[in-house]
Amino acid sequence: MSDTLSNTLTAPLTDKPVGTLTLLGLESSCDDTAAAIVRHSPGDPPVILSSVVAGQTELHAAYGGVVPEIAARAHTEKLDICVEQALERAGLTLKDLDGISVTAGPGLIGGVLAGVMCAKGLSAATGLPFVGVNHLAGHALTPRLTDQLPFPYLMLLVSGGHCQFLIVHGFDDFKRLGGTIDDAPGEAFDKSARLLGLPQPGGPAVEAAAEQGDKKRFRLPRPLLDRPGCDMSFSGLKTALLRTRDKVIAENGGLTRTDRNDLCAGFQAAVCDVLAEKSRRALAQYMELNPPRPTIAVAGGVAANTPIRAALETVAAEFGADFLAPPLALCTDNAAMIAWVGIEHFRAGHRDDQTLSARPRWPLDNSSPAMLGSGKKGAKA
Amino acid sequence: MPSETLILAFDTSAAHCAAALLSGDTILTSRREEMSRGQAERILPLCEEILTENKLSWADLAAIGVGIGPGNFTGIRISVAAARGLALGLGVPAIGVSTLAAQVLGAARPVISVVDARRGAVFCQKFDDTGAAGAPQMSTQEAVEAAGTAWVDHGTRPLAEAIAQLAAAEFATRPEEGFARPAPLYIRAADAAPPRDPAPLILDQDPNQHTDQAPDQDASV
Repeated sequence: MSDTLSNTLTAPLTDKPVGTLTLLGLESSCDDTAAAIVRHSPGDPPVILSSVVAGQTELHAAYGGVVPEIAARAHTEKLDICVEQALERAGLTLKDLDGISVTAGPGLIGGVLAGVMCAKGLSAATGLPFVGVNHLAGHALTPRLTDQLPFPYLMLLVSGGHCQFLIVHGFDDFKRLGGTIDDAPGEAFDKSARLLGLPQPGGPAVEAAAEQGDKKRFRLPRPLLDRPGCDMSFSGLKTALLRTRDKVIAENGGLTRTDRNDLCAGFQAAVCDVLAEKSRRALAQYMELNPPRPTIAVAGGVAANTPIRAALETVAAEFGADFLAPPLALCTDNAAMIAWVGIEHFRAGHRDDQTLSARPRWPLDNSSPAMLGSGKKGAKA
Repeated sequence: MPSETLILAFDTSAAHCAAALLSGDTILTSRREEMSRGQAERILPLCEEILTENKLSWADLAAIGVGIGPGNFTGIRISVAAARGLALGLGVPAIGVSTLAAQVLGAARPVISVVDARRGAVFCQKFDDTGAAGAPQMSTQEAVEAAGTAWVDHGTRPLAEAIAQLAAAEFATRPEEGFARPAPLYIRAADAAPPRDPAPLILDQDPNQHTDQAPDQDASV
C-alpha cells in the first residue's frame, strides 16, 4: 500500500466553505485495488486527503500477465479494507463524506463488479449518494485534479491496458482521435520483457536494458506510420521482436546481455517513434481548435518511461504546446482520480441508483467506431 | 428499534437472487427470484423491498448473513462484496455462510452436502453426527454416491432462510476477536497457467546476479 500523496497534500479539515464536496473514490478495474478521498471547494484546487493503492503485481507475476479471475478474487477481499484505510488516513468517518464515486467500467468485469457492489453496499448502508464513473475518464481528467487544466486539452492515455488520443472538451465530453487497434504499449513492454527473460513489470526492466543498448542494431517496424490518422498497433512490433530474437538465438545458441540490451533499445525506439509521430498528428488536429492554453497531457504507467516522455515533450514544443505529466502515482491506476471524476459528476447533478450495471466495455467517445481486436487485457474501449 | 435480533441474509451463488429477513427465530419474509444474469442490479433492491415491507430499514439490522458459495464465482463475489460494503457502512458484522452448510441445516447426519461444480464435478463436504464437518472439496457425483453416506444437493428450506439461521447462530456466539470478514468459498482454484514459452538462454552471466547470490556481508555482523 502506498500513501505518499496524502502526506504532502493533506489540508486543514475545518471551516468547509459552502459547496464543498468530499467524495470517496473506489477503483478495481485491473490489478490495483484503490480507495481515496478527495475534497473540493469551488474556486480552490481539489485536495487529495488520502489515496490508498493495494497492488496485485506479485499475485500475477507467475502468469506473465494479469489473470482476471485472480484479480477479481483479490479485489473482493481488499476493497473494504482499502476504504477503511483511506478514511483513517484522511482522519474522517463515513459521516464526513458527501458521496461515493466508483469505477463502473471499462475493465476486467469481475473486479469492476466487486467495486460497484462494495459501493452499492456502502451507499445503501449510509444513505450516501453514489455515481458510477468511467475509469478512462479518471485518467483523462487527472490534469484537472492536479493542475486545474482548462478545457479543451489533448490527452494521451498510454498504459498496460489503454492507448488512445482524446480531445477533452468537458468532464463528460471526449473526442477520440485514434488509438491502438490491438495491444497497448504497456502490454507490449511486458510481453517484450517476458520474451527476453526480463522481470515483470516489463516497463522499467526494458527501459533499463535499453539504456545500455544500441537502438540502431535491430531495426524493428513502426506499425501504421504509413497510414494517415492517429490509430496505432503494437502487436506486430512484439512479433517482430520475437522473430529477431529467435534469429539471434538460432545463430548463437542464446542471447548475450548485449543482444538483449540492443533488442530492448530497438523495441523502445520503435514505440517512441510511433507515439511521437501519432502525437504530432493528434496535436495538429487539436491545435485547429485554437485552445487558449494548448496542452498535451499524458496518463498511464507508460508515461513514466523517460525516452517516451522526452519524445512527447519535444513534439509538444514543436507546436508551442505545454506538456503535462501528473506525478507517477496519479498516472497509474488510483482512486483519487475516480473520486475527482465523481466530484465533477456530482456538481452536474449526476447520481446512480442500486440498479447501476458494471460495464466491461465503455468507450469515452460514443461517436467513434468500435475498436478492433481488443484482447482480454488489451484496448478495452 | 426492534427487540428481537434482526438479520438479513442474501445469496447470489447460483442463478438466483435470494434473500430472507429473520427476527429472533422467525422468518419475516423470504424471497427467491430465478435469474441467470442481472443479480448485481437486483440483489440490493430486493433486500430493500423486504425491509420496507416490514417497515424496517438497514439501520435496524444486527448483522448481515451472506452466502459465500461454493457456486458461480461471479455470483458469490456480487454478494460478498455487497455484504462487506454494507457491514462497513452499518458498523455491524457480515457473517459468511456456505451453501454446503446451509443446505444440510436440520438434515439427519451423517450427510454429504453436494453442490454442482459443472465440468463433471461437484463441490462436497461431509457433516458427521458429532457436529464436526470435513473439509469442503472437489469430487464427482459418482464418488459421492459410492461413499455409502446419505447425500443431499438441496436443502429442506429455502437457501437464504438457512443462511439467515446459521448467521444468527454464529452471531449469538459473539466472539471476542469479532467476526471474520466474509470471504468467498471458491474451492476450485483460479483457471490460470504460467506462460508456455520459456525464457531465452542468456549466454553471458549478469554480474548483478552474482552479487544477488553472494552472502550478505552486513547480515553476518
